[in-house]
Amino acid sequence: MALFARKDRIPIPPKDAQKFITVCQYCTVGCGYYVYRWPVGKEGGLKPEENALGIDFTKQGVALQTQSITETMHNVVKGEDGKLYNILIVPAKDSPVNRGNYSIRGGTNAQAAYSPTKPTRDRLLYPMVRVGDQFMPVSWDEAIDLIARVVKGVKDKWGPDSIAMKVYDHGGSGAGFEENWAVGKFFFVAVGTRMLSIHNRPAYNSEVWGQRERGVHELNYTYEDARLADTIVLWGSNPFETASVFYTEQMLPNLQGATVEEKKKEYMKGEPAEPARMIIIDPRKTSSVTVAQSVAPDRILHLRPNLGTDYVLANATARAVWEKGWWDKEFVEKRTDLKTFEDYKKKSLMLDVPYDEFMSRVERLTSVKREDIEKAAEWIAKPKAGGFRRRTLIIYEKGVIWGYKNYDTIAAIAQLAALTGNYGKPGTGCGRQGGHQECYFRPHDKSRAKLVGSIYAGGPPPNIDEYVKNDPRAKVYFVSGTDPYLSTPNSQAYKKRVHERTLALTRYLSEQAKLAGEPAGSEDRAKRILEGLEKTSGLLMVVIDMYETETARDAHVILPAAGWGEKPTTSINCNSRLLRIYEQFMAPPGDAKPDWWIFGRIATRMKELYEAEGNYEEAKYCAGMDWKSAEEVFLDGANEFPDNRVSEEDEAMLPAECYKGVTYEYLRKVGQKGIQTPVRIDPKTGQLVGTKRRYVHKFGTPDGKFKWYGTDPWDPDPMKFYPPQITKYFQDGNDKKFPFWFTNGRSQIIWQTGYNDRHLPEKVYTIPLPYIEMNPEDAKRLGIKSGDLVEVYNLEGNAIALVYVNDAPPPGMIYGTMYHWKGSLNHLTTDYTDPKTTIPWYKASRVAVRKLKGNLEDVLKNTSLLPINDFTT
Amino acid sequence: MFMTKISRRTFIGGSAAMSALLTSPELVKALTSQPYSRVKVANIKNLRVGEPVSFNYPDKDSPALLIKLGERAYGGVGPDGDIVAYSSLCTHMGCPVVYSKKRFLCPCHYSMFDPAKNGQTYQGHASEWLPQIILRLEPRTGDIYAEGVEGLIWGRVRNVLKVTKK
Ligand code: SF4
Ligand code: FES
Repeated sequence: MALFARKDRIPIPPKDAQKFITVCQYCTVGCGYYVYRWPVGKEGGLKPEENALGIDFTKQGVALQTQSITETMHNVVKGEDGKLYNILIVPAKDSPVNRGNYSIRGGTNAQAAYSPTKPTRDRLLYPMVRVGDQFMPVSWDEAIDLIARVVKGVKDKWGPDSIAMKVYDHGGSGAGFEENWAVGKFFFVAVGTRMLSIHNRPAYNSEVWGQRERGVHELNYTYEDARLADTIVLWGSNPFETASVFYTEQMLPNLQGATVEEKKKEYMKGEPAEPARMIIIDPRKTSSVTVAQSVAPDRILHLRPNLGTDYVLANATARAVWEKGWWDKEFVEKRTDLKTFEDYKKKSLMLDVPYDEFMSRVERLTSVKREDIEKAAEWIAKPKAGGFRRRTLIIYEKGVIWGYKNYDTIAAIAQLAALTGNYGKPGTGCGRQGGHQECYFRPHDKSRAKLVGSIYAGGPPPNIDEYVKNDPRAKVYFVSGTDPYLSTPNSQAYKKRVHERTLALTRYLSEQAKLAGEPAGSEDRAKRILEGLEKTSGLLMVVIDMYETETARDAHVILPAAGWGEKPTTSINCNSRLLRIYEQFMAPPGDAKPDWWIFGRIATRMKELYEAEGNYEEAKYCAGMDWKSAEEVFLDGANEFPDNRVSEEDEAMLPAECYKGVTYEYLRKVGQKGIQTPVRIDPKTGQLVGTKRRYVHKFGTPDGKFKWYGTDPWDPDPMKFYPPQITKYFQDGNDKKFPFWFTNGRSQIIWQTGYNDRHLPEKVYTIPLPYIEMNPEDAKRLGIKSGDLVEVYNLEGNAIALVYVNDAPPPGMIYGTMYHWKGSLNHLTTDYTDPKTTIPWYKASRVAVRKLKGNLEDVLKNTSLLPINDFTT
Repeated sequence: MFMTKISRRTFIGGSAAMSALLTSPELVKALTSQPYSRVKVANIKNLRVGEPVSFNYPDKDSPALLIKLGERAYGGVGPDGDIVAYSSLCTHMGCPVVYSKKRFLCPCHYSMFDPAKNGQTYQGHASEWLPQIILRLEPRTGDIYAEGVEGLIWGRVRNVLKVTKK
């Protein structure tokens, strides 16, 4: 009777069930989990002494205390030994990150595991090579040989930059230090290309050079700071939906006053400790705003700037702090570089412009009222009773990272924190919320291509989306762990061009096959591909992924990747840089392999090919990648970290991810407690020590001082402020044609492209289509209701979406899911990138909305259309 | 098909064999694995739109809410197909949900469930939809019986804790 098969009992793990330690495969928070595994057919008893969990299952559990176990946390999988096992994957109560809490994404970790009898059977099982319009399964030997020969041939003939890539740089989602290290070694050293790009953006760059070039890594606070802060600022971040447990388990208790005792322990003597205030800067009234308002309406300040004006707003807040004399003089003088401070005062704070005049310009551009900006300044920096400094934690994310003028925006926020002394103390910090978990570590020092930073550090880096779209010098394109047909900015134009270019090669191969038959084996096939790349403007695409992604439809070779739990891996979370091990508890589907194995094998095959022709010089660069185990890769990477036998003060100079000295055995021993990176080896004791909070003593610059930066001048007239990609929408009558602002983001329910979620019935019913949110005022005027279907379109592209009417977006603004397996709203984003960093501006364009005739009955019947941001009773 | 179990069509004019099949306890057993008992939980005459009725099912430690939604609901009984019941323990971490504005809301971490759509978590942390309680309306008396639960009640690994002889 239910919409899909439900369970009303699940098997109980017996006392001797195996127990594995792991971390959620999804978001930045990195909640700890345990996996219990036991043979199918066996079951434990209801009494606590009869089951592995030690729970009395004869009694009803107690809310918030008893271990949560849901239907979605059980599955049956195949072990590495080929036997069938029950698995139960439950949130760890002894994890400091989640304390037994979990979210709608992580709660399905078990349900999403590969099973040949469940919808996840869609996983890729074997390597496949395109022949005409089909994919044919081949052996790994054949596929690896083909790729190695093509990469080598292209590189020898056209140089390393003919090889381009778009590959993840994150942790979680099946990736970890092992995969990241292998990807880096392969592309930086074995190939040596500079045509690199990261999964979610067109170039190879940091999302936050504006902060890093100040001497601050974006992962600097610890999750406890969200419990200890006097004020939490969420800037362009919606953690209830995108860092769910961090919000409900760490921030909400602070808002509710449940952490006052913890504060008293960490604060100075006599310092007031009260429930937190929260400032949220977001044009939408997100659920992070409305949940917070339902907890403490008087302590929530919601600022709704016009899209793309955040750096002006951040500077204006800093200016208000300055005018009121609330800045932290002692911190600025001791910890920051006073030479560059002058530049900041002049350009960012614009002290030459009288305050009233300055504020009226800010109000005009941002639409945020002066009194609200001043209130924000007060909540961030006005000293508490007794003259104690307020402790403010500023957490920012994609609302500003994917904003206009990425570099200046991130710099402005990072500097607001420095001006108010909010680094390196309990309850402070300024950094990313995070999307994925992290574990970026690659051999930058050994890269054969010159890798650049922002425009102030040799950059900006090249835009690889444009390169593969338009430059015939791009010959081979690797795409791994990402689905740019959905996710890249301006994706409609992108996939059209990538399709045309990959098709040009496919056509050539088909024509040759007509004349001379299909090539016999990988060596011949590689030859023909190289011919094709010479004679056409074609592009060879290799996709490495867990599923046959949308992008894979145009690939020439598809390689099946092992996912989470199908190999051991390691990673850190974003909110405390907590390094833990994610153990393997099942076999990968079919012949799927870890990415480190795949890249290692291609490099090793290239080495053999170079050796065979006597080119030992090139062969050398492909060496050292024939890894046998994940831990071998982990330790190989560790060798490249700088010497970490340094004092506590010198943690500031270590890479944020430094884990030198850590082994799998160590991680198994510390379990959910993990260790916070950067890890040091204490020079006195020789023991491994983690870093709770960064920059307590020094910043990561040669002299240890925070470096200021004067942001760009700006004009209060929007037509002079915005770039041509936006102003074109206000010219030639376009303002009437495209009357809405458009911005985008994520839903709590699904993870990224829904590569797993699209197979889970709960998710498919709840989020059946890409959707938009529309304000009730606009909806009324256009005669649109929740559940209607609309076409959203502009000069970049179009998309079809389901409508939810709610008051999250202000009137005149449409919000949409960034992408969904049934369509991408990134068709509507412009091709703007920040000239300083090549970071795109996903979060703003202009659109029109047209209602489609009729509805989809299934959606109206089975999908909830209730407003997701109303928590009032 | 099962959704229209006791819809107006079935019990006014539907085929007798069909309604017998759809309301037979055997079928309920086939759909769920646990030995549920049949318990009277309300009478249709006492129900008001939007006013939840609480009861315990399948035993005293498992609170549940019955609600006449005022609009046709998935698995709803009664002439308007709008009477549904759910376990009221949030499937996230077990806090009691409250009914308001046509949805169940959990005050602990703000999960929200749609009773018209099979208890779907349309917002919040709960991975598992709220378990829906199978209801049967006795047309003659107007009594409403609970006959089973679809979905795992929070805090249990099997919905029926103790099997009692009927
Ligand atoms: S909050 Fe993030 S890490 Fe935690 S369970 Fe949810 S998806 Fe996983
Ligand atoms: S217990 Fe209901 S949302 Fe957590």
